[in-house]
Amino acid sequence: MTQAAPMTATQKILARACQREHVLPGEVIYPHPEWVIVHDGFVETAYKELHALGYGAIANSERVMFVTDHEVAYGSQRAVERGRNIRQIAKAWKVGQVYDAGRGGHGHIFPMEQGLIKPGMFLFAYDMHCTNFGAVGALAMAAGTEVTAVLATGSLWTRVPETVRIDLKGRLPVGSHARDVGFLLAHGFAQGRWGVEHDYRVIEFGGPGIDTLDLASRVALCNSITEMGVANVLFATPPPGIDAQNAPDFISDANAPFEGRFDFDLSSVAPQVALPGGPDRAEDLERVLGQPIDHATLGACGSGMYQDFADAARLFQGQRVADGVRFFVVPGTAQTARRMADDGLTQIFLDAGAIMLPPGCGPCAGGSMAPLGPGEVSIATAATNHAGRFGAHDGHIYLGSPLTVAASAIAGCLADPRLLIHT
Amino acid sequence: MTQRGRCHVFGDGIPLDEGVMAFKFAIGRITDPEQLIPHLFEGIDPTFAARVRPGDFVLAGRDFGCGKPHIQGFIAMAALGMGVLCTSMPYKAMRGAISKGLPVLTGCEHVNGFAQSGDDIEVNFASGQAINHTQGKQVQFPPMPAVLQDIIAHGGAQGQLAAWLKAHPAQSAPAGAPSALIDGTPVQIVRKGASA
Repeated sequence: MTQAAPMTATQKILARACQREHVLPGEVIYPHPEWVIVHDGFVETAYKELHALGYGAIANSERVMFVTDHEVAYGSQRAVERGRNIRQIAKAWKVGQVYDAGRGGHGHIFPMEQGLIKPGMFLFAYDMHCTNFGAVGALAMAAGTEVTAVLATGSLWTRVPETVRIDLKGRLPVGSHARDVGFLLAHGFAQGRWGVEHDYRVIEFGGPGIDTLDLASRVALCNSITEMGVANVLFATPPPGIDAQNAPDFISDANAPFEGRFDFDLSSVAPQVALPGGPDRAEDLERVLGQPIDHATLGACGSGMYQDFADAARLFQGQRVADGVRFFVVPGTAQTARRMADDGLTQIFLDAGAIMLPPGCGPCAGGSMAPLGPGEVSIATAATNHAGRFGAHDGHIYLGSPLTVAASAIAGCLADPRLLIHT
Repeated sequence: MTQRGRCHVFGDGIPLDEGVMAFKFAIGRITDPEQLIPHLFEGIDPTFAARVRPGDFVLAGRDFGCGKPHIQGFIAMAALGMGVLCTSMPYKAMRGAISKGLPVLTGCEHVNGFAQSGDDIEVNFASGQAINHTQGKQVQFPPMPAVLQDIIAHGGAQGQLAAWLKAHPAQSAPAGAPSALIDGTPVQIVRKGASA
């Protein structure tokens, strides 16, 4: 009997999703997801497309999850109408899980927080930032507008991606954050620094360094390298607190066919920003210190977990938001918002002069809430920072870690969080 | 899946925006092939639209269709019944092409050495075999995966969804079933006692 060929974690998860023993990178398959997640920005479009084709029912509707995170507080009459339509569509299609406005929160966070996403799971989502789920070892593929095919047929053709493995070593210095690592990696990939491709590759994190990263840090890292066009991001082992006892095998074999592999030293990472234009435009924070800001946002899918707010709140002890700066705090989920209210974090932010927004995407969903004005400057933990992301096309968005955003909101300009951290 | 036509040879890194099709058609969300065809490859070769014939091939090098994955160029090419052979294509661009029913062979190394613009070639997408009738030579490229051949045979993603529904009539809406949407009309908030 021949020994089974070694596989990457991605191969194992996708093989299971199409009920096969083995799949190869490059193969085109029809994997079946355990969940299909669609957010409030696309439900109507999907319905219109399928209704026009004559569809009255969708496939496996019990596995479909509608989430409301892009326009939670209905900032317009159109949004009120959209909310009503989504509730009607959910009823017509018998959608299994409906998280309406004010329920759940961010669809890339609360399903993980509530244990709906498990290590080794395969799912499809409309939105590309579903790569967050790689933080617990689940593989969520972004279907984009083709999620209509998943709704109609229960699957979508998928090419099994190659994997690039990054072994993390060391520990982040005080004041540096996983998000800083993400900006450096995105920049390095875009520059071809490691001689590996990243288009439609799964970036898998392993090595001893991952044990130093909690769930929020892992989410931040998954999130901040997503926009460069990767197929997915996966952590090789689940973080503390996530039960993987009963999970199916989702660990790459020791001799798995990685397309590329390199080490990355966490201890060498200094605080970064991504300059306006994209998360890959990493720059040492030190080189842009003093840039005045009008707007600052803590939250969104990559930095909306409880630990992100707890870390940032520590910098606000005895500090206030600078005059002239609008500082928005967006808890990722309803559960996190409640916990922040219970244990005093919300009080710290409100005392400092922050504006609390409802759980969800905040300004990062096109600026339908708390937008940036023409020519204004923001520092945010948003998923991306291309022109117009927060509303005005000529607004300038810098991305930074929760620590850098907090320090900058206090200073009124881009500022170094290390000066506020007393160890 | 065999197709015969003439070649239009391009190099590496042809972008979708301003290369295959001007960005203004993407931002304008134009999807009518009749409007798009006269502007195909206009930014690189203004005479292309006048020369192209149905069934022709585009041969390109690495990273064909790079940049934002806008599908306007693919709509025009699919409507002309064209085919693409390239060394590589960003994944999202490849998905866009297949979704619009445009057959593509990727992973074709040295494809630009196989033919010159104007050559008469024949390509079997299922086997990957390509014949250059003008130069009298034959090469083997990686075949198109069977799953993708099936989508192309249905004319793209929309055709595939229509075929699925035909095969799964239980998912059909009853004839004349109303939409669940309030379609396009703003919600009127009516307050009791308010004057019109």
